[in-house]
Amino acid sequence: MNRKKTKLKPTTLVTPPREVSPPRQQLFKDHRRLGFSNTVLVLVILFLFMPLFVVITYSFNASKGMRWTGFSLQWYYKLLFESRQLWKAFLNSFIIAITSSLVATFLGALAAVGIKWYRFKARSYIQIISFLPMILPEVIIGISMLIFFSAVKIPLGMFSIFVAHTTFNLPFVLLLVSARLDEFDFSIIEAARDLGATERQGLTKVIIPSIVPALLSSMLMAITMSLEDFVITFFVAGPGSTTLPLYVYSMIRYGVSPVVNALSLILVLAIMVMALTFRRFLKTIAASS
Amino acid sequence: MNRARRSGLIYSAPMGLWLTLFFLVPLSIIVLYSFLKKGLYGGVEWQFTLNAYKEMFNPAFMRVLWRTLWVSVVATSITLLLALPCGYAMARSRHQIFWLALVIVPFWTNSLIRIYAWIAILSSEGFVNELLRSLGLIKESLSLIYNQGAVITVLVYVNIPFAILPLFTTIDKFDFQLLEAARDLGATKRKAIFSVLLPSIKSGVITALIFTFIPIFGAYTTPLLVGGKDSYMIGNIIVDQVTKTRNWPLASAFSLIITLLSTLGVVWMLVSSQQERVQNKRGVL
Amino acid sequence: MKKVSLLLTLLFLFLFSGCTKEEKVLHLYNWTYYTPENIIEQFEELYGIKVVIDYFASNEDMFAKLKGGAKGYDVVFPSQDYVEIMINEKMLLPLDKEKIPNLKYISPIVLEKATYDTDMSWSVPYYMGAAGIAVNRKKVASYSRDWSLFSDKRLDHRMSMLDDMREVIGDALAYLGYSVNSTDPKELEAALNLINKEWKPNLVKFDAEGFAKSFASGEFLAVQGYAEAIYEELDENRWDEVDFFLPKSGGPMYLDSMVIPKGANNIEAAHLFINFIHTPEIYAQFLDRFHFPASVNTEAGKYMKSTPFYRVEELEGYELKMNLGADLALYNSLWESIRYND
Repeated sequence: MNRKKTKLKPTTLVTPPREVSPPRQQLFKDHRRLGFSNTVLVLVILFLFMPLFVVITYSFNASKGMRWTGFSLQWYYKLLFESRQLWKAFLNSFIIAITSSLVATFLGALAAVGIKWYRFKARSYIQIISFLPMILPEVIIGISMLIFFSAVKIPLGMFSIFVAHTTFNLPFVLLLVSARLDEFDFSIIEAARDLGATERQGLTKVIIPSIVPALLSSMLMAITMSLEDFVITFFVAGPGSTTLPLYVYSMIRYGVSPVVNALSLILVLAIMVMALTFRRFLKTIAASS
Repeated sequence: MNRARRSGLIYSAPMGLWLTLFFLVPLSIIVLYSFLKKGLYGGVEWQFTLNAYKEMFNPAFMRVLWRTLWVSVVATSITLLLALPCGYAMARSRHQIFWLALVIVPFWTNSLIRIYAWIAILSSEGFVNELLRSLGLIKESLSLIYNQGAVITVLVYVNIPFAILPLFTTIDKFDFQLLEAARDLGATKRKAIFSVLLPSIKSGVITALIFTFIPIFGAYTTPLLVGGKDSYMIGNIIVDQVTKTRNWPLASAFSLIITLLSTLGVVWMLVSSQQERVQNKRGVL
Repeated sequence: MKKVSLLLTLLFLFLFSGCTKEEKVLHLYNWTYYTPENIIEQFEELYGIKVVIDYFASNEDMFAKLKGGAKGYDVVFPSQDYVEIMINEKMLLPLDKEKIPNLKYISPIVLEKATYDTDMSWSVPYYMGAAGIAVNRKKVASYSRDWSLFSDKRLDHRMSMLDDMREVIGDALAYLGYSVNSTDPKELEAALNLINKEWKPNLVKFDAEGFAKSFASGEFLAVQGYAEAIYEELDENRWDEVDFFLPKSGGPMYLDSMVIPKGANNIEAAHLFINFIHTPEIYAQFLDRFHFPASVNTEAGKYMKSTPFYRVEELEGYELKMNLGADLALYNSLWESIRYND
């Protein structure tokens, strides 16, 4: 394994080194405020937020429809006091998101370490099957799981949703952790081994601490995807396991959607509050990933 | 098997087993079902037949498939064209986390609600039309919703973060000094970007392409909610075959073909980018 | 580390906690808005049984789930054709009529129409009604009060019909004077032509989800849909802007019933619930909530406080959409050529 740490020479075109130290990069974090790309970025961000503003605005609408008839907090009141089914659905979503992302992160990270650290016969097989779920449309994954559960007579419910969510989260965890491990120099483990560390210590005391940011961002990503998921959950949900997206879908046909708008605003605020509190935490994740 | 190999296997086995059981097996069942006979009330009957594949070549389906392809190409192209400058601007910014957060925050609102908000924005009495009317630019409302244009717009909207993130990650790793070097050697800004930046972020572009095209191709909710009577896409057909016409073999046949095509497409893209990387390395020595 | 394992264990327990305290929970699988919250609460208080509801938006969704293995629902609300299918497929448990004394209030006329189960051995009618047409009276001056409304070019691009095969084809068949359950190729062909050549060009989309909201926002001026959904989207002071009617040509009608599927956990509670629903005062609350006419439980009509959106007499020319068995394939291919062709 010859990994030379080359210093960058501006006159030779080599593949760029993976870690560029901050000061050099700072030189090119640029001066031009209103360049083309910056304008596009701002416009795209506005584009992304426009529906969000609409949602929030209608959550304060005094009437149900799209016509603005005045300011009102009635939907927030209804949300907090008259929406038992909604909160149950939210709780279901939350439980599934946490459990499936925990399991996916655990299994995925472990596998990433195995794949990046060692070479073994089944390696390519595992790499291929963990890549496939990412490139298949959700409807196909959803249908295949419904058919699978019915064929092996596993009842549909929280468990089946949990299994489905873990399954589609695994490839992303693997991807994120592997990307982080790509930058990890395994020769450190060799050095540790030479100094008498066991393999387990190599794992727990060297590798895992250095991939913590990737673990956290994997969990975050998995939780987001699980909370959001509609299509796959639609196929594998069962009695008592209506999740938030499913509930919202059922309300679109008939129902008080401003209540759901109100919930959206509350969720966004809650997450922003959490993000601000853990600001420093997030900076470490971003810096090392 | 030496100890090292065994450890690798032990670490990867749990995930490998999970995926084999809960992903590969379901997929194989679908392959199997596509060759079986349709049961009257859903499910299948154990009789080998190629009926499902024959049914697939119905001209109505082919028309929808063609439309899906066209919409996907357009939506993906627009998404990537927008995401590239975004990723670039974000990578060069001093406030990366700020931009990242802004891109991700909308995600935390349920996607169905956001798609529904688009209906409010694009309706005849919605935001866009009201704005244009109050500015005196139009007299009668434009028909912006329940058509292919709306579907493309919302598809771009839903998928643009998936394109921005991989592009941002790859561009961030790029050494911008190379651009400066190219300028020193006389290249214009545009030439520098096209000949130096783009080739080296190829892997990011490919990832963005994969993570954008495939979800768009298999889209179900967007065409259903914001599309018109002629906006049906292949995802809708597959779901209809499972839930409405209860033709599981046909749904399976469609799924199988799409799976094969996706896998082939992705493998081809990865292999060619791998080859390029190898070539580049060789060129360096 | 210990705290994490404790948290994990708790969360995993939650996952499988659906299996506890079965006598105290009733699982309903129902249409998305069909049983008012206050009725549920009254049931819960009266019997001390907690009610958990899951929703479906179409019979097909519901059936796909049940056939696919979803178990544990105690009461399900399928429509007439699916009740028949479920009886044939042996997916239901027989009802113990002694536990449902309120069956005496069920209208015999309705039972006559329910040819698949006239003696209520498997199902108890819940509500019988039909989708009709809603027109925005404020914006549309003159129009035909029949299915031919959809041929009206003046309303081009401002109309929608339900994304429902039996509903749309049924409307065309009824308008042409045929049965909504017809399997005659010539009649079906005529219906297809009517839809494709005259109706579809004027429609914006086939919409079974958002038609009510689009109508309320003024996007659509005329929609085929369910009265309760449409009026729900409008504040009461705007109700006179709407002209909702059931075309005299007739059309497809639905009869939703309560059934107990196999795999139900709490059969006792299921019977209690079915009986409770048909207590006239309770059923009247259901009718009031949606402004439904008392088609199924005529006694309850005496306790109603609201005016229905349409009257039982208007349902006279309407036919129940019956199970077509293998002939459904005819409708499927018809619908494909309507939906998937430009």
